[in-house]
Amino acid sequence: MKHLKPINKKAQTIEASIAPIEDVVALQQSTPLPHVPMGCSLSFSPGWEVDAGGGTAGLCQPVERDIYDCYVTCFWPVQVPDHVNYSPDWASNCAAATKDWRNLDLVFP
Amino acid sequence: MAKLAVRGLKMLGAVALAGAAVAAQADTLLLGTYPDKMFTVDEATGTVKQRIQLESGLPVSMRFSNDRKLIYVTTITTNGVVVLDAATRKIVNQFSLNTPTVRYRFNGGVPDPTGRYFYTQLIRFDKKPDRYEVSKPLYAVIDLTEKKIVRTAEIDDEDNTMRALRPTFMLSPDGKTLYLFREKVLLVDTATLKVVQRFDIAKPETTGMENVTYSGGVGALQNPNEFVSLFNASDPYVHNKVFGLAKFDLTRRTFSFTPMGPIPTDMTGLEITPDGKDGYAVITQGTLGNKRCEIWHIAMASAKLVDKAEFHCRSRFTFGMSGSGKKLYIYGASYDIEVYDAKSLKHEKTWDLGADATMAGMLILKS
Repeated sequence: MKHLKPINKKAQTIEASIAPIEDVVALQQSTPLPHVPMGCSLSFSPGWEVDAGGGTAGLCQPVERDIYDCYVTCFWPVQVPDHVNYSPDWASNCAAATKDWRNLDLVFP
Repeated sequence: MAKLAVRGLKMLGAVALAGAAVAAQADTLLLGTYPDKMFTVDEATGTVKQRIQLESGLPVSMRFSNDRKLIYVTTITTNGVVVLDAATRKIVNQFSLNTPTVRYRFNGGVPDPTGRYFYTQLIRFDKKPDRYEVSKPLYAVIDLTEKKIVRTAEIDDEDNTMRALRPTFMLSPDGKTLYLFREKVLLVDTATLKVVQRFDIAKPETTGMENVTYSGGVGALQNPNEFVSLFNASDPYVHNKVFGLAKFDLTRRTFSFTPMGPIPTDMTGLEITPDGKDGYAVITQGTLGNKRCEIWHIAMASAKLVDKAEFHCRSRFTFGMSGSGKKLYIYGASYDIEVYDAKSLKHEKTWDLGADATMAGMLILKS
């Protein structure tokens, strides 16, 4: 994400929050996270969703199982609508995301 | 990401009185499901019995009242509170806090002993002509009769648990002290909404431990006066991290801790059988694609690990236990519930609910 420059306060806050990445990590400390902005922000690579490590190995399988947590809580960067603010009815016709994802509504910005 | 499980309390007396005929009657599971319903599920067959529609949308938390007669659900779509009668499963009260110009964000909370007030923490968003104003994190009191927020107070920066996952809320039996369990334990006076005591359990005198973090939920509660859970700790010298069993007395404001072993990457639980003898937790080693999961069986009397078994776990899930304590459930991030035998720790069957479970967890409704 180094090719992106923050131009507003929110982006600057995100950058500040991920800036202090240590080079030396003690054995019992958690592994530093990659430069993946948290929240429903732009992240098109490697796919519609990335895991907390910036890859896909930790995603739900199949990935449709994770649609709703991304939709509701924006826990990971993901290209799905935002339940709380803009698209509360996006999944109103889809109770089981893995089975019924074709019933998800279309959203136009 | 594992989500905390919520499970109903088990009354020892009820087991003794049950008798053979009643014991054959299965309990009922209550789960929140997408997009806006609560399901009741027969524990014997895994079939969905009721689909309870919620006006305020997606359920994200639920808990019993202390007398187990009411169930309090919070929703996120329009930030509502729903109260159900536990016996009839009928909605007795429901409303939304959001208005066209004011929105809130909250998750979970605890009712007071009278059932009129609901304590939580939240953030308020005011829509202005050219911007949104976002409040500081607030302690809040929701009047369930007037269906609105009646009191708020700003949360001190040092106590801001909104940054973490939702804390576990508890209330002392007299209703005067609100407890928030997370990296530390906060005691909030419900009259003033001010923190009156911080259990900086970083260095408790009895254990010599620091950096204590509670990992359980209200599902581990054994009675209204006690909070029982697994938690992590590290000693102040070489910072060796261990997990152990903690019991917190809500009246005397004391806690005990029994260390059990080195901490894994993550833990979910503790689920305790109705007789109080056995506890179960899921531990995770490794992260992301290297994640491995095990069910641990713990003898509660000795706080010893007596059995464990690896299972094929989902990337994120919730852990629960049946009303009888004989079955273990893995669910969440999907439309199904995987059922494991608590004695053998082996997978038995999978129930298809037809709708994804939310992060609200699971309650056991006794027959």
